[in-house]
Parts: sequence; structure tokens; C-alpha cells
Amino acid sequence: MSELTTSDRIAMYAGGGLLLVGVVLIGFLDMVFGAGHPVSGEGQIVHEALIPVTYRSYIILAGLLIMGLYAVYRVLATSPGSPGAGGRRSPSTDSGD
Amino acid sequence: MTETIETRLLGRTVSFDLSGPWLAYWLVIMRVVAGWWLLHAGLDKLMNWPFDASWFVGGQAAGTSLGPFVTMFGDGIGLAFTNAAVPIGQFLIGLGLIVGALTRTAAFFGAFLMMFFYFINGETGGWSHGLVTGELLGIVIFGMIATLGAGRVLGVDAYLERSGYVDRYPRLRYFIG
Repeated sequence: MSELTTSDRIAMYAGGGLLLVGVVLIGFLDMVFGAGHPVSGEGQIVHEALIPVTYRSYIILAGLLIMGLYAVYRVLATSPGSPGAGGRRSPSTDSGD
Repeated sequence: MTETIETRLLGRTVSFDLSGPWLAYWLVIMRVVAGWWLLHAGLDKLMNWPFDASWFVGGQAAGTSLGPFVTMFGDGIGLAFTNAAVPIGQFLIGLGLIVGALTRTAAFFGAFLMMFFYFINGETGGWSHGLVTGELLGIVIFGMIATLGAGRVLGVDAYLERSGYVDRYPRLRYFIG
């Protein structure tokens, strides 16, 4: 069972959390409490958003940026002597040859 | 062959079984499909050279949340860089994913590239098809490929990982895998 570091938790909870809030939670609130979302003849959803879509996209962007920065941080923070960098080896590499 | 994953998430112990062969199978499928997505996009532009991204980075991007950054590449040397970097980058990302070489690097830059397409196309189109688009799903897939190190299944990275060079420089495992 691998232990999560503080940076792992920030990426998972803040990064993933913002992504889910922006995409799913606000989408759900918008669907339930917002105006209707009629689909036009071209298949486009006519938006009358409860929470402006711009704010949603900023929230999603913040989540993705946190995850991206976490990836860069993991590379930079790895000490040269760390044997487990990048996760454990795949089973195929242990039994390959 | 069933593998048992046991870990902790959100303060709870999580344990579930996985079919090893099916997991390996889907890692390859996911990698190759996502790889072809970008390889095709890159090849298309390279075979119809010259490629001009000015309509996107110079025009469409203005006024979007990424506009202040992206429009810096809208003319001059920035645009010249973009015109070369997008097709070559897409080609290399796609190729890396398909053959499983430097897979985590390819997935990272795939997600990076897709982030621009997601926000600029979405915002300029008024998110008319909702906020979950192909580009966002691409970002999620790239995240999964990087997290699981999909290049180690029938990929060049399986051989690279076994090399002594990677053992001496463990940081490299964040680039391959």
C-alpha cells in the first residue's frame, strides 16, 4: 500500500477536485436549478447558464494546471538515488528475460 | 490472472481485483488509439506543408482564458515556432504513444497541447456541446496513460526501463513508462 505525500494529496484532491467541480458538480447544479438547455437544430445546446461558463472553464483550467505543475514537481523533486521513481516496475520487466 | 489492488483513498481502505491480461490489453488499446489520434493530426499537417496556425493562436485565441499567453505566439518568431512545433509535436507524441517510447513524456505533452484546444475551441464555440468534449476526454486519457505507465506493455519503454542507464538515473522513469 503506497503512502501519499502532501504533493500527491494536493494534486489528487485540489487538482481533481476542481476538475470535478467545474465539469460535474456545476454541470449538475446548472441542470437542476438553471435555465433549460434546449438543443438547436444543429445539435448545439443553447446555454442559459446558472454559473457563467467562463467561471467553469477557469475552475477546470485551475485543476488541470495544478495537475500539470504536480507532474513537473515530481520530476524535479526526485532525488537521483531514489529507486522507486516513476512507480514500481511493471510485471513484464521483472519476468521478461 | 487476477491482481489485487489495495490502497487508501479519501481516508478509506480500497481493495479491488483486476484482470491482469485485460488491464494490459486496454493499456495498449488506449495508447495506440490516442497515439493515432495525434499521429494522424501531425502527419496531416506535415504532408500538407506549410502549416499556418495564425488563425488559431493569433485570432481565435484572443479573448479566451488562455488568450494572453497564446496570442504572444500570434506573429513573428512565436508564430514560426508554433507552425513548426504543433505538427512536429503532434507527430512525435503520436509516434511515442503508438510504439510506447518515452510514453509519459508523450502523454504529458499530449495533455498540454490538448489543454489549448480544449479551452480555445470550447470558449470560442460557446461550449455549445457542453464542457465534456473530445479534448477533455483526451486530457483524461493522457493522464491515465502517464499514471499507469502504459508504454511498459508491449512498448519500447519496457526495454528502456530494463537498461542500466535508467537504474542509474531514476528520474528518467518519469519520462518513460
